Amino acid sequence: MSLFLIVLLPFAGALLPGLLIRAGRNVCAATTGAVTATALLGLIVNAPAVMRGQSLTARLDWLPALGLNANFHLDGLGLLFAGLILGIGLLIILYARFYLSREDPMGRFYTFLLLFQGAMVGIVLSDNILLLLVFWELTSLSSFLLIGYWSHLPESRQGARMALTVTGTGGLAMIAGMLILGNLADSYDLSVILTRKETIQASSLYPLALVLILAGCFTKSAQFPFHFWLPHAMAAPTPVSAYLHSATMVKAGLFLMARLWPVLSGTPEWFYIVATTGLVTMVLGALIALFKDDLKALLAFSTVSHLGLITMLLGFGTKGAAVAAVFHIINHASFKAALFMTAGIIDHETHTRDAQRLGGLRRLMPVTFAIATITALSMAGLPFLNGFLSKEMMLEEAAHTAWLGNPWLVPALATAGALLSVAYSLRYLVHVFLGPERDDYPTRPHDPGFGMWAAPALLVVPVIVIGIYPAVAEALVNTTATAVIGQDPHVHLKIWHGLTPALFLSVVAVAGGALLLSVQRPLARLWDSTPRPEAKTMFDAAIAGLAGLGNRVTDGLHNGAITRYAAIFMVTVVAVGWHAYGGGALGAETRALSQISPVAWIGWAVLVIATLGLIRYHRNRLRALVLMGVIGLIVSISFNYLSAPDLALTQLSVEVVTIILLLLALNFLPEITPPETPPLRRMRDMTIAAAAGLGAGGLIYLLMTRDFVFGTISDFHLTRSYKGGGGDNVVNVILVDFRGYDTFGEITVLGIAAIVIYAVTEALLDSPVRRRLLHRQPGHALAGDAHPMMMVIGTRVLMPIALMVAAYIFLRGHNQPGGGFIAGLVASIALVMQYMASGFAWASERQRYPYHGIIAAGVLLATATGVGSWLADRPFLTSNFGYFRIPPLKEFELATAMGFDAGVFLVVVGAVMLALESISRMARRQDNEVSPYPMDIDPARETTPAKET
Amino acid sequence: MIATDIAAILPEVILAVLAMGALLGAVYTGGDRTTPLLIWSAALVMVALGVWIGFGMSGTRTAFGGAFINDGFARFAKVAVLWSAAVVLLMSLDYLSRCDLLRFEFPLLVALAVVGMMMMVSAGDLMALYMGLELQSLALYVAASLRRDSVKSTEAGLKYFVLGALGSGLLLYGCSLAYGFAGTTQFSGIIATAQDGHVGIGLLFGLVFIITGLAFKVSAVPFHMWTPDVYEGAPTPVTAFFATAPKMAAMALFARVMHDAFGAAVADWSGIIALLSVGSMFLGAVAAIGQRDIKRLMAYSSIAHMGFALMGLAAGTGFGVQAMLIYMAIYLAMSLGVFAFILSLERDGRPVTDIGNLHQYSRQQPLRALCMLVLLFSLAGVPPMVGFFGKFYVLRAAVEADMIWLAVAGVIASVIGAFYYLRIVYFMYFGEEREPLDPPASTVQWAVLVASAAVMVFGVVNLLGIEGPAAMAAEALVR
Repeated sequence: MSLFLIVLLPFAGALLPGLLIRAGRNVCAATTGAVTATALLGLIVNAPAVMRGQSLTARLDWLPALGLNANFHLDGLGLLFAGLILGIGLLIILYARFYLSREDPMGRFYTFLLLFQGAMVGIVLSDNILLLLVFWELTSLSSFLLIGYWSHLPESRQGARMALTVTGTGGLAMIAGMLILGNLADSYDLSVILTRKETIQASSLYPLALVLILAGCFTKSAQFPFHFWLPHAMAAPTPVSAYLHSATMVKAGLFLMARLWPVLSGTPEWFYIVATTGLVTMVLGALIALFKDDLKALLAFSTVSHLGLITMLLGFGTKGAAVAAVFHIINHASFKAALFMTAGIIDHETHTRDAQRLGGLRRLMPVTFAIATITALSMAGLPFLNGFLSKEMMLEEAAHTAWLGNPWLVPALATAGALLSVAYSLRYLVHVFLGPERDDYPTRPHDPGFGMWAAPALLVVPVIVIGIYPAVAEALVNTTATAVIGQDPHVHLKIWHGLTPALFLSVVAVAGGALLLSVQRPLARLWDSTPRPEAKTMFDAAIAGLAGLGNRVTDGLHNGAITRYAAIFMVTVVAVGWHAYGGGALGAETRALSQISPVAWIGWAVLVIATLGLIRYHRNRLRALVLMGVIGLIVSISFNYLSAPDLALTQLSVEVVTIILLLLALNFLPEITPPETPPLRRMRDMTIAAAAGLGAGGLIYLLMTRDFVFGTISDFHLTRSYKGGGGDNVVNVILVDFRGYDTFGEITVLGIAAIVIYAVTEALLDSPVRRRLLHRQPGHALAGDAHPMMMVIGTRVLMPIALMVAAYIFLRGHNQPGGGFIAGLVASIALVMQYMASGFAWASERQRYPYHGIIAAGVLLATATGVGSWLADRPFLTSNFGYFRIPPLKEFELATAMGFDAGVFLVVVGAVMLALESISRMARRQDNEVSPYPMDIDPARETTPAKET
Repeated sequence: MIATDIAAILPEVILAVLAMGALLGAVYTGGDRTTPLLIWSAALVMVALGVWIGFGMSGTRTAFGGAFINDGFARFAKVAVLWSAAVVLLMSLDYLSRCDLLRFEFPLLVALAVVGMMMMVSAGDLMALYMGLELQSLALYVAASLRRDSVKSTEAGLKYFVLGALGSGLLLYGCSLAYGFAGTTQFSGIIATAQDGHVGIGLLFGLVFIITGLAFKVSAVPFHMWTPDVYEGAPTPVTAFFATAPKMAAMALFARVMHDAFGAAVADWSGIIALLSVGSMFLGAVAAIGQRDIKRLMAYSSIAHMGFALMGLAAGTGFGVQAMLIYMAIYLAMSLGVFAFILSLERDGRPVTDIGNLHQYSRQQPLRALCMLVLLFSLAGVPPMVGFFGKFYVLRAAVEADMIWLAVAGVIASVIGAFYYLRIVYFMYFGEEREPLDPPASTVQWAVLVASAAVMVFGVVNLLGIEGPAAMAAEALVR
């Protein structure tokens, strides 16, 4: 049967149990069994070829760009594992049929089981490490579902979570290892990787890859220090524990170590990491197992111990050890699965798994007792049972392995492990089955029906057969070992090897084990009273610590304050700027510094002082505003100093308008200054700000003292300004002519912005925000007269002058500094002054044209100018100009651009006024009486009208 | 001339005109009453445009003197953007109407943002880049504070706006430096100034500031700060939108600028992007652990995912870009599913976002819980879900570009990140007994959730054929 089919069968079959559960539990179980049996049959069909030394492959390109191909490969190792998975799977299906009670949703159980089975078969048959990874994680996932099957039990939840966290994490780490491995071997196909031992081990990345891959293997196979999850996963129903935690999933790590043994083993790193881990796990697991009262926990830790044993053997890196490892895998799978099932039977029949509450079951449950005896003695490693053979081989290997030059350490610890193994195996028998019958079992125990003990009984057969006549397993062991070590070891398995050191150690172990058991009870009390690190608490603490760290990071970085965000932002920007600065050589300075006049120095000093003052007094808003005005003024003047009068004029007008706007806004701000930040924080912020400011300044200096790669565009405009646009003022010509389209867009945006401000304030007029603003009590008394006579008269006088200036600036704009934009600002200032002097209500009564209309008129005028050029068969906004003479005036120029500029003028006036008007509306109170008079105190008037604020 | 230009940009023009027309229409007819109609029609138009762009166009065309490029890369990103935006719109409808948020501006803002994104991914010039970016950003700023009466929503919008303005300013600064030293704003001109695989120092300044600006837009660490606040504060449909289409567009723009404009100086930027990537992956993974609010959690999750996508970009190769595109496409599919799920969470008629509400969800809604389990495993990058393949693609790209450390860091980060995804699974399957949530009502959300989960499972067969288009797109960009 095709290998694809063998792998796919369980997946496809996983649909069936769920669908067929309606037809009854027997049908459901039978279907599941049939699916597994078919896959097993397919495997057996291929077995003879594999035993002859061939290996079968099936290839299919999946995602070739990734190196991921659905390649399967069947050799001795794959055959052994696939056989174990499917064979024991079949027995588990049978066992589960009788184990699960009527209330358990059996369809779901079998579905998960088949999914898991498919994933396991996929792992062992994959010839592509990426494909292997996919199946690897799929086992984590499906085992999570299986362990969590009884999710109403709290232990079950905890167990599932921990199992998933540990194995899933290890699996993810393994992804990195596999990635490196594939990169080193230049292929992700195992068949290729296995031939690249030298390349891989010579690479400096080998240790990294090794550690990452082993992290995956160790977590999956519950090796120290990841051994703690396995016992907690035992809360799952027994068929799951028997299947996952004895025969299959936990062996996946071993499988992978065996699979990659040819490329990864043989180095000191491999030996010290793998063998040491295995040794420690073996002894530690056995020790803990001895003191566990829960039968399943006992078996779980014994599994941990035996897995450690196999890991250690693989870690030795010798061929003999690898053969022993393979053999022990077979033996362990058979006796441990059977033992788990007996534990399940006991639990099922007596409703307890506590060794303290059991004892004397041998008469009540004779069949179970028989099965348990044979398998437990095999686990103990007594002769004529299969466990004995592989344990002997292990001790033999351990006897001549030196660890850091110490020849005694490994044999001694291995013997200790075997000794403990004898002790807990016997304990399983003695404390459960022997001793007097009790009368306080939770329920009266008796042997289960045939269906339930059939599966473990079947497993006893290989235990005895191999134990007595080991030659039956020879072919399988040799074929499997060939796949691991790359050559046929030709081992001959036999019971009697003569009086070897291993036999001696074995005798010590059995005798010592029996002795140890006799003092188990007092030792257990001692064990319970000694404090020791509990892996689960450590795991929980680690998780809690990690979560705590995460929280601290989060709270530290994301406290919601935008100042902190901005600080981090700025620091990073300075850092990357610094990085760029180091990224290449700057050429020599190519531009000389110009002379600086004393005036400029004074301006600079004023600017710096004002800036420092602003920082000093930024809590006092009014003072800060004044200083900002000073800064703006200096900046405007410096524009003028640097021969940019247009810019200076614009800046100046913008400054005035913004300051007025800010003054209005101050009205809405609370007077209480926020608390001063601590000095350390201020120092930090100051450093960041200084770094950013100096960085930007330094960058500008560096760039401006060097020529740009291409010439400036000034010359282009200077030569074309008069000829093309009819103006001497290049800036204005650019605005209204060369880039008139841009300006057209800008004034539209400006108009829209003003209307948006209007709309927003409109929406806010009856919002709670405004109510709160208006109810705020001013901190100090308001000035006596809101509209003083001096100011009223002053502004009235100034108004025509200002408007005249605006007109002047507007008209000269085309040839000299000025233009519609600046003129618009100046005109706005003239109007705003009236509002300030006599109050909003008074001024708006005299306002004839709505500002919306002015904006619209401006945009329309500009549009009309643009469209006008179509009449002259020119593109939109093309400028035209001519010279006219109207006596008595001198000859003057008229350009169509002027109409456009007038549009700009109108939009600016409208926009500024509309914005200011909108904001001032916010502060108007409902109870305000509109004063009919321009000023509060008027000598020509008799009475004083009500004050307006 | 202008006719061919317009032909190249026709989908964008159509969408923009329709959006503006619909705005006028909605204002003058029914206002918010037209919202369901607008949502459906906007979604349909976007889907149709996506089909047209994806299947009806081929080759590379430039328009407006090279400022606009319509190539395979742009089309890949556009299709992803259009379709994900359409899905978000459709699954939002039910939520918006239940929360009394059916404002007609929402679908229009989404449509305008999508126009901006389409401009971004097609930009061939720094000006076009900025135009597209700002159109997108401005629409998003407004969308973030869609719920005007909620303090959180407005605060989120304001923070996003202030920081976004900072980011945009920096980007502009970088652009002007680049212009100053390259003498052109066109990508094709900038790339020509590189010599021996490096750009001059002036241009390098421009490059790093452009990178910081773009990093802000993809919310890479340390420019990610706005993300959790905005994700949490914005109404969930807006969050769903933030998590999907803009991410794709910003990532594509990032790749576009790096390869089209600075592709001849890969060594100058790949290190910086690798750092951004590592920072994002780790911060996203670590900071998400403590989150209780699933929207905030998804914000950190998205930061981590952007880190992974940046890993593909950091590789600086065509394969890296292909990996990044595949990663992003998978990320979009996953995010849509997760947000469809989040949108359906309700208790007593009010939306809930605390993950504590998910305890024992599998008992109340087995199918939804299963879908979510698949999605969360996929987000965590656990094989065999499709999310794993996306991760593997970028890891592979990093390894092939000799950035082993980056790949290893990525795996470690994904290990940490797996923790919080799996915790949600744990809550759903093994949590304590709590009061059940309201049974979800929306069919669209259900369909999106199930479809997304199905993609994550069945996509493993051939990644739904996305490899080929992604490879072609990458080829169009990295020549």
